[in-house]
Parts: sequence; structure tokens; C-alpha cells
Amino acid sequence: MKTNKSLLGSIVQNVLLVIYAVFALFPLIWMVILTFKPDAEIYTTTFVFHPTLNNYRVVLFETDYLRYLRDSLIVSAGAVAVSVLAGVPAAYALARYNFKKKEDIAFQILSFKFAPEILVVLPLFMIFQKLHIYDSYFGLIWVYQLISMPLLIWVVRGYFEDISVEIEHAAEVDGYSWYQIFFKMLLPLIKPGLVSAALLAFIFAWNSFTFPLILAGTNVQPITVAITKFLGTGSAHYGQLAVAATLSALPAIVFALCIQKHLVRGLSFGAVKG
Amino acid sequence: MARIQLENITKKFGKVTALDGISLDIKENEFFVLFGPAGAGKTTILNCIAGIQMPDEGVVKFDGEIMNLVDAAHRDTAMVFENYALYPQMTVYDNMASPLRSKLYKRDEAYIKQKIEEVSKMMKMDHLLQRLPSQLSNGQKQRVAMGRALVRSPRVFLMDEPLAHLDAKLRNAMRTELKEIQVNFGTTSIYVTHDFMEAMSLGDRIGIINKGKVVQIGTGDAIYYMPCNEFVAQLMGDPEINLIPGRLEKKDGGYTFTMQEGGRTYVLPKDKDLFAKFDQLGASAVDMGLRPQNLKYSFTPQEGYLKCTVYSYESIGNKSVIVAEMGGQQLRMIAPNGLHVKIDQDVYVDLMLDHSMFFDAGTKVYQSRYNEAEIKAVAKWED
Amino acid sequence: MAGLTIKNLYKRYDNSGKKKNVQNDYAVKDLNLVAEQGEFIALLGPSGCGKTTTLRMTAGLEEITKGEIYIGDVLVNNLHPKDRHIGLAFEDYAMYPPLTVYDNIAFNLKAKGVDKAEIDRRVREIAPLMQCDDLLDKMPVKLSGGQKQRVNIARAIIRRPELLLMDEPLSHLDGKARQAMRTEIKRLINEIKCTTVYVTHDQLEAMSLADKIAIIDLGVLQQFGTPAEVYDDPVNEFVASFIGEPPMNILETTIVGESDHFLFTFENSNLRIVVPERYNNVVSNGFKCKVGVRPMDVLIGGADSKGSPEKVATFENLGDERRIGIHVGETLLMLITDDETRYKAGDIIKLEVRGEKTHLFDLKTGERIRER
Repeated sequence: MKTNKSLLGSIVQNVLLVIYAVFALFPLIWMVILTFKPDAEIYTTTFVFHPTLNNYRVVLFETDYLRYLRDSLIVSAGAVAVSVLAGVPAAYALARYNFKKKEDIAFQILSFKFAPEILVVLPLFMIFQKLHIYDSYFGLIWVYQLISMPLLIWVVRGYFEDISVEIEHAAEVDGYSWYQIFFKMLLPLIKPGLVSAALLAFIFAWNSFTFPLILAGTNVQPITVAITKFLGTGSAHYGQLAVAATLSALPAIVFALCIQKHLVRGLSFGAVKG
Repeated sequence: MARIQLENITKKFGKVTALDGISLDIKENEFFVLFGPAGAGKTTILNCIAGIQMPDEGVVKFDGEIMNLVDAAHRDTAMVFENYALYPQMTVYDNMASPLRSKLYKRDEAYIKQKIEEVSKMMKMDHLLQRLPSQLSNGQKQRVAMGRALVRSPRVFLMDEPLAHLDAKLRNAMRTELKEIQVNFGTTSIYVTHDFMEAMSLGDRIGIINKGKVVQIGTGDAIYYMPCNEFVAQLMGDPEINLIPGRLEKKDGGYTFTMQEGGRTYVLPKDKDLFAKFDQLGASAVDMGLRPQNLKYSFTPQEGYLKCTVYSYESIGNKSVIVAEMGGQQLRMIAPNGLHVKIDQDVYVDLMLDHSMFFDAGTKVYQSRYNEAEIKAVAKWED
Repeated sequence: MAGLTIKNLYKRYDNSGKKKNVQNDYAVKDLNLVAEQGEFIALLGPSGCGKTTTLRMTAGLEEITKGEIYIGDVLVNNLHPKDRHIGLAFEDYAMYPPLTVYDNIAFNLKAKGVDKAEIDRRVREIAPLMQCDDLLDKMPVKLSGGQKQRVNIARAIIRRPELLLMDEPLSHLDGKARQAMRTEIKRLINEIKCTTVYVTHDQLEAMSLADKIAIIDLGVLQQFGTPAEVYDDPVNEFVASFIGEPPMNILETTIVGESDHFLFTFENSNLRIVVPERYNNVVSNGFKCKVGVRPMDVLIGGADSKGSPEKVATFENLGDERRIGIHVGETLLMLITDDETRYKAGDIIKLEVRGEKTHLFDLKTGERIRER
């Protein structure tokens, strides 16, 4: 009796989940379908159409799409690299050392994420013009720190705080220098946090629209901004737009799947008294 | 192996003075126990020796060489931490190998393997080597932490409450085990604890620490039989020593002791040295200290016994404690397990006066005791 | 006030869908207990042995799988907890944080609609018993662990329960506070003479507090008796090693017959102990079993002792007493002595054993082998 009941329960559960999944994924599915539709059938809502790869051909070989993709990759990866290099030591300091206004500084860093980008983007534009870093990789990587750094520092700081300070002391007494301790003992322990924070930061940077729209646009064109070009003044090539959007969403999706694996914590537990 | 000297170490954390002029001289090859209540500053002393913390004032010397400016990695110490501090991402084997793989103390892998096998056998943990710390029980973690320190031959071996997180049975068993392998250490060892049994059992000498100061240093016997004040007397021993306030009076060439509570007067048995000491003091208010095993009880009235009522009767393992009450004075004494004792029933108590010690009632400082000379001999007393 | 009777009590947790391969997963199995009116019973066992489950079933917080629980003469199986006339003091001090200590203690009576003057009278009566009269106006957050536990107990006894149930009330306290609170509980129960069931995993607490101890392991009652009975006359190896600190020495032995007596012999050891005569009917040459003797009952013989000479492996001077460890094969035989001699490892002592204090246990089942 009981097993029947739980079987029925799990069927209902699964059906509900499938319905929700279809509902949630529908826009994405629709977008992918669009990429295979010829322009003429774009507006038909039936699922019967003449599939074509023409949109892909046009986007990949007849536009500068690959250049935009490269630009996105450079600024996002660059932004994350800078965040990791500067953010991990900062997180360590915030976790381990006691100094005046420590919590204020930590909060200040987090608060960068509070303000809407549009609020600061105009003054930034003026500053970038004056500093001659407008429309450059450097400029974008710099401004992207507003997006990636706070996230990274806050996640990694939590991981550092979870590691008992005695582990560092133990390694020190064992004869390791601080750098060895950091790379041999601490880095493996914060790795899950560091990787997931870095991937999240990468996704946020990748998806950023406002900053590159205002602060770049000719020399450097991340994909998010470039996509708008497919909405021409006279004709909108929705098929091509869909291809561009789908392709640019791919890295984010792949990374998101990677994070899932790394989000499993618990490695740092069990080392000290239980 | 080294002689460790601390000279006038002072350490403050903000406004809190953790260590206040600590001076210790720990002999080569000695097993020295730092014993005191929680928050006394014992761990801070250990950290100053290891180089994990820097003293604000004072000097740390290894074999006469000042170590203050040598960082922890270069001091050649090994330490067991209270929370074990095992590296969670490494197996037990790699944890134990880690000190021998560091640049400073590097040895080849064949040597490491042989050494780990030797130590893990001694610590009875050879079956654990491939496990991760998260797969170990507390007792096993403790063994690994100890093993990691033992694979090296450091100048000094530092242990910070290694048994504190184990339950009573395991703690006692581990303490005995530690006692057995102690002879193999062959290294100056400093052991921090708040458990008096560990201090008594393991220490060649014990340093009592309280509120950042050294209170008394001596062998276990010296501190147990001649504690320098009432605080130390109460710290050593479970159940606690009985402290009985009263007055000394000279009478017929001898001395009498009159209990403050109840006013009962005892004629003190003769002890020449003790009475000479009393002569110096003159008649005065004292606290008599008497260990629980030096009280006799009877449930029927006995000649010369003090009539009290039972306050409690509780087991402490292989024996029990009767707490008798007479007015405001409580008296603890040892009894076997499993007696049929009712609360508030009458009990008659006799004091074995020739085991007593005396403290000044005002300053609580140790004055003298019976058989002091003999005890000094047994306890290897150093002045 | 009333006694407590537990008859053939079973508890089985429904594990369907989780661990399918677990069979007979009874948390409590065929438990029988009788607590006379006014008696203090301790349920003692390692964590997960079913002692708390038993208490919760008695309180009505857990469904009974099978069996009967009576409080006094009333079958309470189907009674709501509030109708069972019980007082509860649990491990966690679940106090109502926004209420003062006074209101916390009075809460139950207020809920029952007892009139104000009566409540006040009873709170003022209980408070001094639990030494919390000067805490009455404080808020729970301001209290120390020991104080919270006092209030907690006061709250449990104010409704004058027929049965007081306590679940590890001291486990959050440490060292001296714990010892002091233990004494207080003992004295309080002695005063109010309430039938009490006390759950603990600490054998010292059980030995110190209880009139009778029920030792439970794996959901099964091992022994139910007075502290003296479980200490001196354990029914099996589990009870023998669980009660007492340091635990009873339990050694595997092979009996060897001599001309007019038997000897306990041990693998890889020269130790020989004469088998007390009372066992002559149950042992034979080559008989294998375990022999148990408490550390207090192993003695150091004098110069003319006939005991086995053995090498001291560990000597611990603990001030109050001295403990000596001796290797018998792989195990360390512990003995406790008041003897003032300072031995050191390697010294030879002659071992004697109080024959009347030895117990034999079956090699496989651990059951006590009794003389016939």
C-alpha cells in the first residue's frame, strides 16, 4: 500500500517538475527554434518550418561576430583574472587580520554592487574620456571590477574564515613559508569557493550590457552590445539575432553547469574537532 | 632537544593582559606541564614559544639563544593543537608526512615512509593511514595530530590540551597511553592542560599558571602535598581539598585547633617543625587543609567523631564522595561505590589531623604542614 | 504522584524509502520497566541506544509502536501529553525569550487558568528550592547555562507533575557547574519526592543520582538495578565495561587445571591468577572465556606474596591515588592503589586479585557466566 502511494507521489512530482521546466525554458527553446527558421517563417507560431543553417552561416562568416565574441572573452576573462589576483589577498586580509574599520571596508566593497550601473555610468564616461581609456580593453576590465570583485571577495572571505587559523599555525611550525602554506594548504581548501565565485563573476561580466554600451563601442565591442546591431534600422533579422544570442549564452550555460559541481562544500569540515 | 627559557614574558591583547611577567626555565629533555584554569594564558605561552605569537616584552631562549626574532618555521618545534588542525584535504599519511616534506625539514620519501610506519605503529593507528581527517573519530584525529608532531625530532615538542575534547573514558585511556610512549619522546616537551590528572601523571614538573602569572613550579608531589596557596590546593585533586577555617592556640606546650563552625577544639598531634613554625606565627587564624581521603566517616556515633549530616553522596568512577555538612562547613570524603546513603541522614566524621596543612586565613598562603621534611624529600623539593 | 510502568514497549521508525535493507530496526525493543512511586530512575546508555525515544514515548511526544505505558494505574498510550500530568526538563532550555523568568515559570499554570494569587504563591515556593528567587525579574538571555537549567527544572516541577522526565539536563554545563547542579537536582528530588525518569549517557550521573539504573544498548534493556547492583554484579560484559571509570579490566583467558585448583592464563603473558573456588563447577581445563576485574580489586602483593611477578608498564601518580598499568598480552591491565610507593616503568610488582570480585563472561555473547 505504502509503496504504491509513494510511487504515485513521485509520478505527480515528476509531472509537475516537467511542466515547470517547460514553462521556465520556453523562451530559450523558442530562441533556439528561431535560429533554424528562415526569415520568412520567423513570425509563424507553428512548430512546422523549413529548418535552415543559413542564419548561422551569415552570423559566423558574414559579420564580425567572432571578433565580438573575442572581445567579450578578453574583457570578461581579464576582469576575472584581475579580481582573483587582487581579491583573494584582500579576502584573506579581511578574514584574518584585525585592523581599524575592517567591517566598514568590507561593507564598502560589497556596496559597489548596490548602485544601479546606470547611475554611475555617466560620470565614469567623463572620467574615461579624460583618462583616455574610453573604448579600450583596459577600461572595460577596470570597470568590470565593480561587478566581479565584490562577489569574489565576499565568497572567498567566507571560505577563509571557515579554515581554522591553527591549520596555518600547524603548517608554519611544520616548516612551511607563508607562500607555501598559501598554495599547499589554503588554496586547495578555498578552491570550491574560488572557482564558483570566479565563474559567477565571469558570467556577470559576460552578461554586462550598460558598461560596454556607454564606455566602449567601436574598438572594443562585447557581444551583448554587438547583438543590438542585428536590429537594423529598417529590417530586423530575428533569426540572426537569435543565433547571436544563443551562441553568446552558451559559455554562461556551460559555466553554470560547472559551478553546480563546485558548489558542493564540506571539504573544509572534519579537519578540526567535531 | 633544548633548554627552553622564558624571561619576563608579557603579552597584551588590546587592553587585556594575557601574560604578565612569565619566567620559566625548562630543562633539557624535561616533560613540563603548564596547568591552570581556562583563560589563564597557558596557550599564549605555548604560542610564544612556537613563534606563532610575539611577546610584547621579554625574551624566549632555546639553549641560551634568543629566539624572539626567529619565525615559527625556523624554530624547529613541533606542536599538537587543541583542535588538532589537521589538513583536511590530505590523507592521514600525507598529514603526517607534511613536516618532513617542507623545505626546511626535507627528507627523502623512503625515510618518511619508514618513520610514519614506526610512529603510526606506536600510536596504534597504522590502519588509518589512507583515510581523510573527515573520516576519523575525535580520538583518532587526536592520534594523528600527535603522530604528525612525533615524526620529526624537534628541539621542543609542544602540546596544547591534546586530550581536552575526548570523553572521560577515552581521555583517561589516552593519558595512560601517552604516559607509556612518553619515554620514547627523547625531547623537551611542554604540555598544556586544565586537567589535574594529566598534569600529575605526565609532568616531570608542573608550572601552575593563573591570570597570566606563574603561581608555583614543582614536581607533582611537591604541588600536591605543599601547594603554595589555597587556590593551588583546590586545583590539585578531585574531589577538592577540604578547607576548614579555625584558630590555632598554644596550650600545654602543644597546639590546639578550634573550628570556626561549631567551635570544636582538636588537640593537634605533636610535630616539632610544625609547632616551631606555629611559634613564629603566634596564635592566629588559619585555614586547615585536609584532602578528602584523610577524613574517616561512620554512620554510627563514634568517640571523638564530629556529628554531621549527609549533603550528597555521588560516584566519581571507582569510588564515591560523601559531602557531609555541619552548619556552613562542608566536608568531602571518599567512600566506596554503592553504599546505601540517604540525604540528610547523620554521618560521623573524623579528621586525620596528622595529614593536615595550614594556610593563612587572610592571605590564603601556605604556612606549613605535618611531616614537611619527609614530604620535601619524596617530592624532590627545590627551593 | 504515581509510579511508572512500562510493559513490552517497542518503537520502530518507519524507514520505507530510505534504508530498505535495514531489518528489525527497532529503536526500542521489548522494554519492561517499573518505577515505584517516588523513585528516581536513570535510563543510561550510549548515544542512539533508544533511551531518549523511551522518554519521549512516555511523555507522549512519540508514537508507541507496540506495548503499554502506565502512569500510576492509568494507561497513557492514547493520552495527549498535556493530560499525562508530567513535567519535562530537556537538554535544550526551550524558554520563551520575551518572557521574564517569573513568567516562564508561571506560563504553564497561566495556560491552565490557575488564578493569579495561587500562581504567585507557587512560583515563590518553587523559586527558592531551585535557587532562582533573585532571577525572577530577569530575561532568559541574561542567564548563565546553569541558571537557565534551574529555571527549566523549576518550570517542570511547578505544575506538580506525577512524573518528572529529564533528558540530559546537564549536558550543556561543564566541569564544576555540572557537578554542583547534579547535587542540586539530587537534593531537590529528595525534597519533592517526585517519581523521576532521567536520561543520560554519563554513567557517573546515573550512579550518583539514581535509585535504580536501567542500562540500555541497541534498544534493548541490559540490566535494571540499583547502582550497587550494576556496579558489583553486572549481567554482561557491556554493563561491566560501561559502568565505572577507569573501566573494568576484561581479559580473554584460557583456564588451566592444576592439581587442586584452576588458573586463569593469558596469551603472551606469564600472568597466572588462581580461579576462585566458587567457579570450579563451571570451568574446566582448556575452558576459554573472559575474566573481568575492577582496577580497585587488583592488588600489589607484599614481599611474601604468591602473586605473579609482573613488570610495571605505566605508573601514574595522580595525587589522590596511583594507577599502574601492566601489559597482559596486547591489553593494559589497570590497577588503582593508595599505596604511597613511587614505582617506575620496568619495576616488578607482584599481582594479586580479589578473587571474590572477579566476573566471568562468555567469549562470544558477553553474557555473565555465574557460579553454580
